[in-house]
Amino acid sequence: MKGDKKLSLWERYLVHEIGIEFKACLYFFAVLFFYCVVRIIGGVYSADILHMTQMILACYVICYMQFILFWDFDEADTLGAREISGMVICTALYCALSYVFGWFDRKLTPTLIFAAYILVTYLCVFLIYKTKRHLDDKKLNEELKIFQSEHKK
Amino acid sequence: MKIDIKKISQGEESVTIRYAQMTPSIQKIIGILRGEKTKLWGRVSDENVCVELDSVLYLETVDDRVFAYTSDQVVRIDGSLSSFMDEACDETFFRCSKSMVININRVASLRSMSSNRIDATMENGEHIMISRRYAVEFRKLLKGDR
Repeated sequence: MKGDKKLSLWERYLVHEIGIEFKACLYFFAVLFFYCVVRIIGGVYSADILHMTQMILACYVICYMQFILFWDFDEADTLGAREISGMVICTALYCALSYVFGWFDRKLTPTLIFAAYILVTYLCVFLIYKTKRHLDDKKLNEELKIFQSEHKK
Repeated sequence: MKIDIKKISQGEESVTIRYAQMTPSIQKIIGILRGEKTKLWGRVSDENVCVELDSVLYLETVDDRVFAYTSDQVVRIDGSLSSFMDEACDETFFRCSKSMVININRVASLRSMSSNRIDATMENGEHIMISRRYAVEFRKLLKGDR
């Protein structure tokens, strides 16, 4: 390919890092939303800064694990046993951390609802990426047909 | 191969090719002289063959050998994928990975995959993956931005 420029190791790292940080922010907002709802229901109208710090760090580490150890399951092409097991393990990690750090005052009911909420969030993110790719398919194939008609021999 | 080049002041320009055995390289030279840029010369089990460039679905490097795949035959060609790309000078051929070049005119459909990769289904039903690194350039080419 003419004018082909290889990505340097640093650039490749940045591409991954930005993707992981973007996802960490996404999941952090999801966790924070649930945390705020639980606090409001409990009659508390303030959020603990320490909890928020723990949440963002937890999201960052779990997103890294998702990418390195669990086949980036929320961006997977299909949802198989491998991806579901990744989702379950990461959900369990979130729940364990929420319990250890006392995000929901170590109460069992909010922790269990939190587990279901994280699983649903993972499924929604998976569906969002899938829909995005489906729309991208249509665009790509339209562009392919145009290219082929323009370059017909 | 010995090459004699003589400058003439008058008379018709001509090229004489003296060969012991007709090889794809010789045939390629003849093709260039005849202005046949749309043909690809190669070998199929020790037999010299010529295929229309447009009939090639994709090219692949296997063990430092380059093979061109059409719908019904596999032709071994001389050189590398880079030299093929330079010689072909054809936008319809796209380097989709380190070891493959696809003919975009022979792509039946495309599918967007995870990690920004693209799965190209060729006319013969084979699937070729366009890696993330090349997918950006491929999208630009389809849009006409390259």
